[in-house]
Amino acid sequence: MTDAEKRLIWFYGKECPHCRALHPTVEQWMADTGKQIVKLEVWHDDQNAKLMRTYGSAIAEACGGDLGVPAFYNEKTGKAICGSRVNAEKLTKWAEG
Amino acid sequence: MRNLLGNWGELMETRKKFWRCNVCNDIHYGLKPPKQCPTCGALDAFVICDTNEAMKVMEGEKTSIATQEELIDVWKEWVSRNDKIKLWEELESVKLLATGEIENDRNKGLKYCPCRSLTGEREKDLKLICPCNFYKQKTWKEYGECWCGLFVKR
Repeated sequence: MTDAEKRLIWFYGKECPHCRALHPTVEQWMADTGKQIVKLEVWHDDQNAKLMRTYGSAIAEACGGDLGVPAFYNEKTGKAICGSRVNAEKLTKWAEG
Repeated sequence: MRNLLGNWGELMETRKKFWRCNVCNDIHYGLKPPKQCPTCGALDAFVICDTNEAMKVMEGEKTSIATQEELIDVWKEWVSRNDKIKLWEELESVKLLATGEIENDRNKGLKYCPCRSLTGEREKDLKLICPCNFYKQKTWKEYGECWCGLFVKR
Protein backbone atom coordinates (compact mmCIF):
# COMPACT_ATOMS: atom_id res chain seq x y z
CA MET A 1 0.00 0.00 0.00
CA THR A 2 1.48 3.36 -1.02
CA ASP A 3 1.17 6.43 1.19
CA ALA A 4 -1.40 7.86 -1.20
CA GLU A 5 -3.56 4.76 -0.77
CA LYS A 6 -3.51 4.90 3.00
CA ARG A 7 -6.82 6.05 4.41
CA LEU A 8 -8.44 7.57 7.42
CA ILE A 9 -11.04 5.01 8.45
CA TRP A 10 -14.03 5.20 10.73
CA PHE A 11 -15.31 1.83 11.90
CA TYR A 12 -18.87 2.18 13.14
CA GLY A 13 -21.91 0.11 14.06
CA LYS A 14 -25.29 0.75 12.47
CA GLU A 15 -27.07 0.31 15.80
CA CYS A 16 -24.45 2.01 17.98
CA PRO A 17 -25.98 5.21 19.42
CA HIS A 18 -22.61 6.91 19.92
CA CYS A 19 -21.74 6.26 16.28
CA ARG A 20 -25.06 7.70 15.18
CA ALA A 21 -24.52 10.78 17.33
CA LEU A 22 -21.04 11.28 15.85
CA HIS A 23 -22.13 11.34 12.20
CA PRO A 24 -22.81 15.12 12.05
CA THR A 25 -19.47 15.85 13.77
CA VAL A 26 -17.57 13.73 11.28
CA GLU A 27 -19.42 15.21 8.30
CA GLN A 28 -18.71 18.73 9.54
CA TRP A 29 -15.07 17.89 10.20
CA MET A 30 -14.65 16.59 6.65
CA ALA A 31 -16.31 19.70 5.25
CA ASP A 32 -14.11 21.97 7.35
CA THR A 33 -10.81 20.23 6.65
CA GLY A 34 -11.36 18.90 3.14
CA LYS A 35 -10.09 15.52 4.33
CA GLN A 36 -11.94 12.27 3.70
CA ILE A 37 -12.76 9.62 6.28
CA VAL A 38 -13.91 6.28 4.89
CA LYS A 39 -16.88 4.93 6.87
CA LEU A 40 -16.99 1.18 7.35
CA GLU A 41 -19.86 -0.58 9.15
CA VAL A 42 -18.71 -3.63 11.13
CA TRP A 43 -21.84 -5.57 12.19
CA HIS A 44 -23.50 -5.96 8.83
CA ASP A 45 -20.41 -6.27 6.67
CA ASP A 46 -18.00 -9.10 7.42
CA GLN A 47 -15.24 -7.68 5.22
CA ASN A 48 -15.24 -4.47 7.22
CA ALA A 49 -15.20 -6.42 10.48
CA LYS A 50 -12.28 -8.47 9.18
CA LEU A 51 -10.36 -5.33 8.25
CA MET A 52 -11.03 -3.90 11.70
CA ARG A 53 -9.54 -7.04 13.25
CA THR A 54 -6.36 -6.62 11.21
CA TYR A 55 -5.90 -3.28 12.97
CA GLY A 56 -7.17 -4.87 16.17
CA SER A 57 -4.30 -4.28 18.57
CA ALA A 58 -4.12 -0.50 18.02
CA ILE A 59 -7.91 -0.15 18.11
CA ALA A 60 -8.37 -2.35 21.17
CA GLU A 61 -5.74 -0.37 23.03
CA ALA A 62 -7.47 2.89 22.14
CA CYS A 63 -10.81 1.43 23.24
CA GLY A 64 -9.53 0.40 26.66
CA GLY A 65 -8.74 -3.24 25.93
CA ASP A 66 -11.43 -4.59 23.60
CA LEU A 67 -12.51 -3.81 20.07
CA GLY A 68 -15.23 -1.19 20.06
CA VAL A 69 -16.99 1.38 17.96
CA PRO A 70 -16.88 4.22 17.14
CA ALA A 71 -13.21 3.63 16.25
CA PHE A 72 -11.02 5.71 13.98
CA TYR A 73 -7.89 4.23 12.43
CA ASN A 74 -5.21 6.14 10.55
CA GLU A 75 -3.52 3.80 8.03
CA LYS A 76 -0.59 6.17 7.62
CA THR A 77 0.37 6.45 11.26
CA GLY A 78 -1.21 3.28 12.69
CA LYS A 79 -2.88 5.42 15.35
CA ALA A 80 -6.40 4.84 16.60
CA ILE A 81 -8.90 6.78 18.67
CA CYS A 82 -12.05 5.33 20.01
CA GLY A 83 -15.23 5.91 22.00
CA SER A 84 -18.12 8.27 22.51
CA ARG A 85 -15.97 11.24 23.45
CA VAL A 86 -14.28 11.65 20.09
CA ASN A 87 -14.75 15.22 18.86
CA ALA A 88 -13.47 17.47 16.05
CA GLU A 89 -10.35 18.45 17.97
CA LYS A 90 -9.42 14.82 18.60
CA LEU A 91 -10.13 13.95 14.96
CA THR A 92 -7.71 16.64 13.79
CA LYS A 93 -4.97 15.47 16.12
CA TRP A 94 -5.51 11.86 15.05
CA ALA A 95 -5.61 12.67 11.32
CA GLU A 96 -2.45 14.72 11.47
CA GLY A 97 -0.60 11.99 13.31
CA MET B 1 -13.38 -34.80 43.02
CA ARG B 2 -10.10 -35.61 41.31
CA ASN B 3 -9.93 -39.02 42.96
CA LEU B 4 -13.49 -39.83 42.00
CA LEU B 5 -13.06 -38.79 38.38
CA GLY B 6 -9.54 -40.09 37.68
CA ASN B 7 -7.93 -38.41 34.68
CA TRP B 8 -10.97 -36.20 34.23
CA GLY B 9 -10.32 -34.62 37.59
CA GLU B 10 -8.26 -31.63 36.53
CA LEU B 11 -10.51 -30.84 33.60
CA MET B 12 -13.58 -31.06 35.80
CA GLU B 13 -12.11 -28.71 38.37
CA THR B 14 -11.16 -25.99 35.92
CA ARG B 15 -14.01 -26.09 33.41
CA LYS B 16 -17.56 -24.97 33.97
CA LYS B 17 -20.11 -27.73 33.70
CA PHE B 18 -23.82 -28.36 34.05
CA TRP B 19 -25.35 -29.38 37.35
CA ARG B 20 -28.91 -30.66 37.79
CA CYS B 21 -30.96 -30.45 40.97
CA ASN B 22 -32.15 -33.97 41.66
CA VAL B 23 -35.32 -32.64 43.30
CA CYS B 24 -36.72 -30.09 40.83
CA ASN B 25 -34.40 -30.37 37.78
CA ASP B 26 -33.06 -26.83 38.11
CA ILE B 27 -30.02 -26.47 35.88
CA HIS B 28 -26.90 -24.62 37.00
CA TYR B 29 -23.84 -23.92 34.85
CA GLY B 30 -20.61 -23.25 36.72
CA LEU B 31 -17.48 -24.61 38.34
CA LYS B 32 -19.30 -25.52 41.53
CA PRO B 33 -22.88 -26.40 42.42
CA PRO B 34 -25.03 -24.08 44.55
CA LYS B 35 -25.24 -25.33 48.15
CA GLN B 36 -28.99 -24.69 48.12
CA CYS B 37 -31.26 -24.95 45.11
CA PRO B 38 -32.58 -21.41 44.43
CA THR B 39 -35.84 -22.83 43.09
CA CYS B 40 -36.90 -25.59 45.48
CA GLY B 41 -34.56 -24.93 48.43
CA ALA B 42 -33.12 -28.46 48.53
CA LEU B 43 -29.66 -28.74 50.08
CA ASP B 44 -26.72 -30.43 48.32
CA ALA B 45 -29.00 -31.52 45.53
CA PHE B 46 -26.93 -30.64 42.46
CA VAL B 47 -25.37 -33.46 40.46
CA ILE B 48 -23.08 -33.05 37.44
CA CYS B 49 -24.89 -33.77 34.21
CA ASP B 50 -23.76 -33.71 30.61
CA THR B 51 -24.69 -31.02 28.09
CA ASN B 52 -27.21 -33.29 26.38
CA GLU B 53 -29.08 -33.92 29.62
CA ALA B 54 -29.07 -30.25 30.54
CA MET B 55 -30.37 -29.23 27.12
CA LYS B 56 -33.10 -31.90 27.21
CA VAL B 57 -34.27 -30.66 30.60
CA MET B 58 -34.32 -27.06 29.40
CA GLU B 59 -35.98 -27.81 26.05
CA GLY B 60 -39.37 -28.04 27.69
CA GLU B 61 -38.96 -24.52 29.09
CA LYS B 62 -37.87 -22.86 25.89
CA THR B 63 -37.94 -19.09 26.18
CA SER B 64 -37.22 -16.47 23.63
CA ILE B 65 -36.24 -12.81 23.90
CA ALA B 66 -36.76 -11.89 20.30
CA THR B 67 -38.16 -8.39 20.19
CA GLN B 68 -36.92 -4.95 21.14
CA GLU B 69 -39.68 -4.66 23.76
CA GLU B 70 -38.91 -8.02 25.36
CA LEU B 71 -35.23 -7.23 25.60
CA ILE B 72 -35.83 -3.81 27.16
CA ASP B 73 -38.13 -5.50 29.70
CA VAL B 74 -35.28 -7.89 30.58
CA TRP B 75 -32.93 -4.96 31.18
CA LYS B 76 -35.54 -3.14 33.26
CA GLU B 77 -36.08 -6.23 35.37
CA TRP B 78 -32.34 -6.57 35.94
CA VAL B 79 -31.70 -2.98 36.97
CA SER B 80 -34.73 -3.06 39.27
CA ARG B 81 -32.84 -5.66 41.35
CA ASN B 82 -29.55 -3.79 41.29
CA ASP B 83 -29.05 -0.67 43.37
CA LYS B 84 -25.85 0.36 41.53
CA ILE B 85 -27.18 0.74 37.99
CA LYS B 86 -30.01 2.16 35.94
CA LEU B 87 -30.84 2.28 32.26
CA TRP B 88 -29.74 5.17 30.05
CA GLU B 89 -32.42 7.82 30.17
CA GLU B 90 -32.41 8.41 26.41
CA LEU B 91 -35.10 5.97 25.38
CA GLU B 92 -34.37 6.24 21.65
CA SER B 93 -30.77 5.15 22.26
CA VAL B 94 -31.94 2.26 24.45
CA LYS B 95 -34.30 1.17 21.68
CA LEU B 96 -31.52 1.40 19.09
CA LEU B 97 -29.24 -0.77 21.22
CA ALA B 98 -32.01 -3.32 21.69
CA THR B 99 -32.60 -3.41 17.94
CA GLY B 100 -28.87 -3.93 17.39
CA GLU B 101 -28.72 -6.81 19.83
CA ILE B 102 -31.72 -8.52 18.28
CA GLU B 103 -30.04 -8.08 14.88
CA ASN B 104 -26.78 -9.47 16.22
CA ASP B 105 -28.64 -12.42 17.71
CA ARG B 106 -30.22 -13.12 14.34
CA ASN B 107 -27.05 -12.61 12.29
CA LYS B 108 -24.26 -13.65 14.67
CA GLY B 109 -26.01 -16.04 17.04
CA LEU B 110 -25.90 -14.10 20.31
CA LYS B 111 -26.96 -10.74 21.68
CA TYR B 112 -23.61 -9.05 21.30
CA CYS B 113 -23.15 -5.39 22.20
CA PRO B 114 -23.65 -3.30 19.02
CA CYS B 115 -20.86 -0.97 20.18
CA ARG B 116 -18.28 -3.72 20.17
CA SER B 117 -16.87 -5.84 17.36
CA LEU B 118 -16.27 -9.57 17.25
CA THR B 119 -12.70 -10.80 17.53
CA GLY B 120 -13.29 -14.27 16.12
CA GLU B 121 -12.02 -15.83 19.35
CA ARG B 122 -14.80 -17.65 21.19
CA GLU B 123 -13.73 -16.88 24.74
CA LYS B 124 -13.24 -13.19 24.01
CA ASP B 125 -16.45 -12.87 22.04
CA LEU B 126 -18.53 -14.50 24.79
CA LYS B 127 -17.53 -11.53 26.93
CA LEU B 128 -19.27 -9.21 24.48
CA ILE B 129 -22.75 -10.57 25.20
CA CYS B 130 -24.86 -7.80 26.71
CA PRO B 131 -24.95 -7.10 29.59
CA CYS B 132 -21.21 -7.57 29.71
CA ASN B 133 -19.02 -7.24 32.79
CA PHE B 134 -18.87 -3.48 32.43
CA TYR B 135 -17.76 -2.76 35.99
CA LYS B 136 -14.18 -3.38 34.90
CA GLN B 137 -14.38 -0.98 31.97
CA LYS B 138 -12.57 2.33 31.91
CA THR B 139 -15.78 4.15 30.91
CA TRP B 140 -17.49 2.78 34.02
CA LYS B 141 -14.66 3.84 36.29
CA GLU B 142 -14.24 7.31 34.72
CA TYR B 143 -17.75 8.25 33.63
CA GLY B 144 -20.05 5.81 35.39
CA GLU B 145 -21.37 4.20 32.24
CA CYS B 146 -20.79 1.02 30.30
CA TRP B 147 -19.03 1.20 26.93
CA CYS B 148 -22.24 1.66 24.95
CA GLY B 149 -23.90 3.83 27.62
CA LEU B 150 -26.84 1.48 28.14
CA PHE B 151 -26.16 1.00 31.85
CA VAL B 152 -25.21 3.97 34.01
CA LYS B 153 -24.45 4.48 37.67
CA ARG B 154 -27.40 5.41 39.87
